[in-house]
Amino acid sequence: MESQERPVLVALGSEVRSLRLIQAGLRLSRERSSPWIAVHVETGSSRFTEDAEQVRVWLQEAQRLGADIRIVQAPTLAQGLTEVTRNTHAQILLLGRSQDRWPWARIGHATADELQRRGLDAHIEVMDDRSPATVQAAQGTGFGAMVGAMSVLGAASGVAWLLPGEGNIALVLPVYLAAVTFIAHHWGQRLSVLASVLGSLLYNFLLETPRFSSASGHWPNLLFFLAMLLAAQAVVGLLHRLRRQAREVHRREVHTASLYLLGRALGRSRSPEEVAATAAEHIRMVFKAEASLLLALPTGWRTFPPSAHAIGLPPPAELLGRLDAGEHPGDPLEPLILGNAYCLSLTGTDRSEGVLHVLPEESTGLPPDTWELLKAFAVQTALALERLRCLEEARKAQVESETERLRSTLLGAIGHDLRTPLAAIHGAAGSLLLPGYLADSARRDLLTMIQEESERLAHLLGNILDLTRLESGAIQVQKEWQPLEEVVGSALGRLEKRQGVLPVRVDLPEALPLVPLDAVLLEQVLVNLMTNAQRHAPGRDMTLRAWEEPGWVHLEVADRGPGIPVGYQDRIFDKFFRLPEAREGGVGLGLAICRAIVQAHGGRIHVEDRPGGGSSFRLALPLDGVPPELPEVAP
Amino acid sequence: MNPPLILIVEDEEALRRFLIPTLTGQGYQVLSATTATEGLAMARSHNPDLVLLDLGLPDLDGMAVLKELRSWSRKPVMILSARNQERDKVLALDHGADDYLAKPFGAGELLARIRVALRHTLHPDVTEPVVCSGGLRIDLERREVSLEGSQVKLTALEYRLLEALTRRQGKVATHSHLLAEVWGPGGEGNTHYLRIYMAMLRKKLEADPTRPRHFITEPNVGYRLNLEAPVD
Repeated sequence: MESQERPVLVALGSEVRSLRLIQAGLRLSRERSSPWIAVHVETGSSRFTEDAEQVRVWLQEAQRLGADIRIVQAPTLAQGLTEVTRNTHAQILLLGRSQDRWPWARIGHATADELQRRGLDAHIEVMDDRSPATVQAAQGTGFGAMVGAMSVLGAASGVAWLLPGEGNIALVLPVYLAAVTFIAHHWGQRLSVLASVLGSLLYNFLLETPRFSSASGHWPNLLFFLAMLLAAQAVVGLLHRLRRQAREVHRREVHTASLYLLGRALGRSRSPEEVAATAAEHIRMVFKAEASLLLALPTGWRTFPPSAHAIGLPPPAELLGRLDAGEHPGDPLEPLILGNAYCLSLTGTDRSEGVLHVLPEESTGLPPDTWELLKAFAVQTALALERLRCLEEARKAQVESETERLRSTLLGAIGHDLRTPLAAIHGAAGSLLLPGYLADSARRDLLTMIQEESERLAHLLGNILDLTRLESGAIQVQKEWQPLEEVVGSALGRLEKRQGVLPVRVDLPEALPLVPLDAVLLEQVLVNLMTNAQRHAPGRDMTLRAWEEPGWVHLEVADRGPGIPVGYQDRIFDKFFRLPEAREGGVGLGLAICRAIVQAHGGRIHVEDRPGGGSSFRLALPLDGVPPELPEVAP
Repeated sequence: MNPPLILIVEDEEALRRFLIPTLTGQGYQVLSATTATEGLAMARSHNPDLVLLDLGLPDLDGMAVLKELRSWSRKPVMILSARNQERDKVLALDHGADDYLAKPFGAGELLARIRVALRHTLHPDVTEPVVCSGGLRIDLERREVSLEGSQVKLTALEYRLLEALTRRQGKVATHSHLLAEVWGPGGEGNTHYLRIYMAMLRKKLEADPTRPRHFITEPNVGYRLNLEAPVD
């Protein structure tokens, strides 16, 4: 088998360190351009819910970074790993050291040794990591610490020497206990163990009577003394651990709370600018650092909030490239350190939204134990940005589909409704031009058809133009106070000139006030409504009524047609909407024009069922403004 | 007497192809121009009896052509305009145009309007003393109006309004024209006065005021007194 095809195997547990293993695994697989597999062995000891949860998170992370994932059940880790390594023909097996190892495990690695013994074909690599705490403890055994510890021990011996009772163990022991506790607290366990041994020897030699001798009769006391001191430093060690745990719990609480606050604030942000401002504010509060976001906007890269410290940064694209190719490939969240500043990729679920740039106020930088929190902040911010981007994309898509729908309806309407009359005109004109005899009546029919169809075309084009102009605001409403009677008259006149006398009963009360309206536009409304009524109930009576109510004048055009089906009473005013059973003629613009005109007048229009059958279109026009003074009318 | 000469100033070829045969078929002499400059030159050289003027010309605004024509000629000018251009129509009428036709228009309407306009010019000083239409009879000499044989009493203002309309019978009279003629200078802003008096005239002189046969409204432009079977 080619080595390129042999996978890199990474064994994951629930520990935080697993993230390092994942990164190392990814790096190895990239270096060797081979696939990689993340494996977790369930041995029965990791059955705690919390652990299982954590393992799942790590496995998911590995999967996100391109790993295949396996979960194996086996009595021991070594057995499980052996099985998987053999099955997958892995070239490398990557292991971490178990956290709760025994001291002797430092010399070797129990699982690794066992795997070696099993004679695996794969190269076994153990990732060693020294936690910061260990490093600190090691630093504690410096020369200064030694001098300090010896001084404290010397001082304790001096005090004990001066105590009365000739080295009475009950009086001397507390002094040494205090000294050893102090040493353990300040310089760590190693020195305190040393101090315990030295202290008990000093006691034995200096204080026990007879002094300056190491009589064999002192041995029981010496051992007792030593045991007490060792016990003391063990207590100190326990206290240390408790304190560390308490601090850790507190730190986590603070982290959780600050993340929660950030998440809530980001949830309220409505724009990338707001997200950036919110994130920067929270980072300033929690980390005491200046933060800015370098975001990819449709218009190019922008820095939010605009700040001086982001000037001179490499372009975000380059930063992202460096983040990706950096020390921790595949973990785009790992900060890139540029001078005093930290750059983090803002990676949401699928892609990077930009770069977070953080410049701490302290020149010492951010403590490493806050990095995880900073990464969590970056993820939250990235998710907020991603949410906004997705919302925007969804909105755009909706607008586009709406526009597309309108355009296709318009095209459909034009395609059909404009072509039909054109075809008729074209055909009729062609027939008239044909050589040969055509009866006078036939000629007349053809000519009449040409006239009627061209009128229909003109009407249609007029409607489309009117609506376009109304919607674009090109038509200004010119309201003038006038009697309704006049506009009703001109509308009827226009209709009847075309179609002859219509069966319209007009009912306008004498006392109707003047109404502020645009005569041309309102005439159009009445013509459209009456044309519809005529089309849907030809020959049947129609009424046009008006009445006044304080502040409003109402107009009604009612017909005895089939009425508007339930559910369509709002939609019939939409552009290009036609009732499913609508017959030929009409593109679905007439009522849309009516609505646009009435609304431009500040009025309302709706349709309701007419008692006794048919529909009743009602419009209300506001009597706003000051009515003009009326002339004195002589009888 | 020679048949009347009509000058068409219109840049749309389709419309010229429709207008020229229609008018020559009715016995008019016809000239046509496609630009404002050409139109003005022809008007000067031929002095036509009537000009059909399109407002949307390629080289010069139709309104400018109208003003130029009006500076030396009183011959009727009829505007050809698109729909929804009430402002332009009013402007043209107030600048001396005699009438307008909104596109698209039919041949019948065109010829009727031309006849009305020509009658006014051919007999500029003579307004028929008595006009009749339907049951309506207006006697300008004796200041008497009757409907279906019975006399109708009009107020002084109503009569002046009726008289102003009758003088321009068949042609559109703009709001401002009527206001100036009936109410005199200073009456221009009171269009609602005019509307109320028109409503009263209709009430007295129309069989059905909501279906006026004589007092036709030209929305946002003015009114037209439409008389059937004009006395010729």
